Amino acid sequence: MFVNLDIYGFVCSECIARMLNLNQPVNATGTANEEVYKILIYDKFCQNILSPLIHVKDLRKHGVTLYFLIDKDRKPVHGVPAVYFVQPNQTNIQRVIADASRSLYDSFHLNFSSSIPRPLLEELASGTLNSDSINRISKVHDQYLEFVTLEDSLFSLVQKSSYVQLNDPSAGDREIEEIVERIVTGLFCVLATLAVVPIIRCPRGGPAEMVASALDQRLRDHLLSKNNLFTEGGSFVSSFQRPILCIFDRNFELSVGIQHDFRYRALVHDVLGLRLNRLSVQGEKGGMRSYELDGSDPFWVVNGSLEFPEVAVEIESQLNKYKKDVDEVNKRTGGTDGAEFDGTDLMGNTKHLMNAVNSLPELTERKQVIDKHTNIATVLLGEIKERSLDSYAKKENDMLVRGNIDRNELLGVLRGKGTKMDKLRFAVMYLISSENINQSEVESVEAALREFEVDTSAFQYVKKLKSLNASVATANLASRNNIVDWAEKIYAVTAGVKNLLSSDRQLALTRTVELLMDGKPNPEIDSYLVFDPRAPKSSSGTSHMRGPFKEAIVFMIGGGNYVEYGSLQEFAQRQQPVKHVIYGATEILTGVEFVEQLTLLGHKMGFGSNAAASTR
Amino acid sequence: MHVKSAKSFRDRTQEFQSIAEQLKKSFSSGSVPDGPSSSSKSEEQRSAVAIQSEFNRRASKIGYGIHQTSQKLAKLAKLAKRTSVFDDPTKEIQELTVLIKQDITALNSAVVDLQLHCNSRNGSGNTYSDTNSHSATVVDDLKNQLMSTTKEFKDVLTLRTENLKVHENRRQLFSSTASKDSINPFVRQRPLAARSAASTSNAPPLPWANGTPSSSQSLPRKQMDGESQPLLQQQQQLVPLQDTYMQSRAEALQNVESTIHELSSIFNQLATLVSQQGEIAIRIDENMDDTLANVEGAQGALLKYLNSISSNRWLMIKIFFVLIFFLMVFLFFVA
Repeated sequence: MFVNLDIYGFVCSECIARMLNLNQPVNATGTANEEVYKILIYDKFCQNILSPLIHVKDLRKHGVTLYFLIDKDRKPVHGVPAVYFVQPNQTNIQRVIADASRSLYDSFHLNFSSSIPRPLLEELASGTLNSDSINRISKVHDQYLEFVTLEDSLFSLVQKSSYVQLNDPSAGDREIEEIVERIVTGLFCVLATLAVVPIIRCPRGGPAEMVASALDQRLRDHLLSKNNLFTEGGSFVSSFQRPILCIFDRNFELSVGIQHDFRYRALVHDVLGLRLNRLSVQGEKGGMRSYELDGSDPFWVVNGSLEFPEVAVEIESQLNKYKKDVDEVNKRTGGTDGAEFDGTDLMGNTKHLMNAVNSLPELTERKQVIDKHTNIATVLLGEIKERSLDSYAKKENDMLVRGNIDRNELLGVLRGKGTKMDKLRFAVMYLISSENINQSEVESVEAALREFEVDTSAFQYVKKLKSLNASVATANLASRNNIVDWAEKIYAVTAGVKNLLSSDRQLALTRTVELLMDGKPNPEIDSYLVFDPRAPKSSSGTSHMRGPFKEAIVFMIGGGNYVEYGSLQEFAQRQQPVKHVIYGATEILTGVEFVEQLTLLGHKMGFGSNAAASTR
Repeated sequence: MHVKSAKSFRDRTQEFQSIAEQLKKSFSSGSVPDGPSSSSKSEEQRSAVAIQSEFNRRASKIGYGIHQTSQKLAKLAKLAKRTSVFDDPTKEIQELTVLIKQDITALNSAVVDLQLHCNSRNGSGNTYSDTNSHSATVVDDLKNQLMSTTKEFKDVLTLRTENLKVHENRRQLFSSTASKDSINPFVRQRPLAARSAASTSNAPPLPWANGTPSSSQSLPRKQMDGESQPLLQQQQQLVPLQDTYMQSRAEALQNVESTIHELSSIFNQLATLVSQQGEIAIRIDENMDDTLANVEGAQGALLKYLNSISSNRWLMIKIFFVLIFFLMVFLFFVA
């Protein structure tokens, strides 16, 4: 059943392995067929794509001896092929032509992360013809890999500030179209790599609809061409095999991007700054340590979605288990004195010794993982205590569930511990979560913020957002089993159903995805548009396409984060049978970064910064 | 994990080449590629290319050799695993072992040669830095592969030794006169046991590798010390048959042990050469961030210095004005 979305990260690594093997099929052992040593050259964007997936160790396994940035000044290396993995743009093409004319390498295998447009291809041809080095270019490929895979079911398009650009009041049509084009290219690459043509659903209006229709058009055009990349999916036309692609806009649920969350993964990302699965923290003995947190770290995979106190308990228990194992090994080998050589047991001793030596690497690795997480947890604990993040998270959660908060409590939090950004985020959360806006309360909040020299532009922006009365459709959500009409507010917000199975509040996104995957008609999602690139254009309302979907790709325009990712994974695991959900966004933002974007928007709208100091 | 058969990339080479053809036709009347300059460029490149291609040839030969050796090793492993008590292809295994040992020693010396050649060429300074690092990396990679092949060989040999021991025990269990006969061959084995004792003392560095053969030798040694004499005459007629069999087994064991000993020396040699490499799990973008941080730090320091300099300037100007002021006052009072 799960033909397509099972092995997401593996597919990416496999694509890269194949690319490094000069685009010949990789044989079963996973190493190159012949002993061909090659050089890998990439640009900055493709470096971001490659770093989470491939380490230098793996590069060596594939026969890559050297790896360079394309901008770096490189010297010739004769007799070896060079594999280029770059984005198809003007500067890169010029560099390639320059390299070819200098005959830096024996042969050039060019791989572009997305489809190279025809004019650039012609430019490349003419440039290399002029320098008489066209025979060095052996292959040109489009790899359709222009996205960053962070985890098995998480990807990001790394398109900075897309939220600001899309919501900018001064943005022109052309700029918006450009952004939409870029997002569509990224999404197309994702779908091409997975080789699926999904059914696209999105809420009406806003960037989501634009992206969905543009993507639909792109897919249709592509399917009509001769050698399209989706021929494999041709036989599976029934809805049970095709996944659903849900596209959302950040304004659909603004609170998730801002709130403080207390789960491990979200904390590490928000507080310590996890970038491309890499983390730098202050080590215990001073000096910065750099760690990697991805699918190969067993502790991270298992415990990423736990709340922080439970994580500390887990680390403790893992440490105890490790100590016990080490003691056992010591007892078996070091405990027996060397003098006791009874004949029958000598073999046993040496066998024990050999087992001990063999198990040493595994034990060392376990210790390293435990040390790493202990270090991270210690640093996190320091930050949490200093900023009292636990109380922020709890109070924000309460606010979202209850819909209001005691005024004194609110002001107390604002005057209490925490950085300026924390306070700003709390204030914005208050604004989003309160059902009725009490003007005096809002003013006191603003006064408190100004007292602490917090830049209130983001606050003003969200206030304006709430008060605008646009005609965009809202998404109604059930709150405590009542359907509350949010007609006064533009965008749907918060206060999700209190899930009886888990104690967490369910996000609006998760609930909507659940409904979409079920496929049953429901007033909340009936207004959502449907695009099916495979169906002929005339037929609409294909009812048989709405059956329950087992796999979904959820895409958030404007910035996603680990909270949503965790929530979606939890939802997928809870189902019977287990469903697969892949989550992606234009970029993965921390709360701080998102609020900075809101501040930028506030500035653009003319709210200005009332405080002289910056928000940091 | 099934491998996707559909490709998720697109080959644009044909398109590229057709464009090239078109452009060539339109260019054919116009530009003539620079004849003399390109030839002179290619001349100095040709020598560099020749040196590099010789290196490549040798490297690929070594790589091919390693690949073949590992195939032979796989065959040996299969043989060692499937042995049974009575149908022991000892001869084949021994031949194959000797062959593989020779191969590994030859490859080892070839890799060392290649590295010397590479170092001398890098030292002579007429190659580019990138070429040097490329060659060094290639040599390291070959060393790693050879090391892993040697390790596998050692594992196969240990497996073989264990199997031999298991057969020993099983033979003792199955044959009815085992308890009496087993003592007898140990009499004959006394000279062999003495030899094995000498060899165990020669091999200190790998206790775990040598532990198993030495323990197997020590076992018969102890049992041999007692009760050998009275039974000797009684079992004389049965001795010749089992004697040759036991002798061959002992010889096999001894060969295995000496091979392991030689392997350990190769191991040590390789280990010293490869010590730098290790299994460092570094990421592609790691150095970048370090240099970026360093550059930013340097920039910050420079800015601070600039500020201090410029502030000094302001200070000097102020002092200058004060001096002028005093001068005026002085002039005023004097004049």
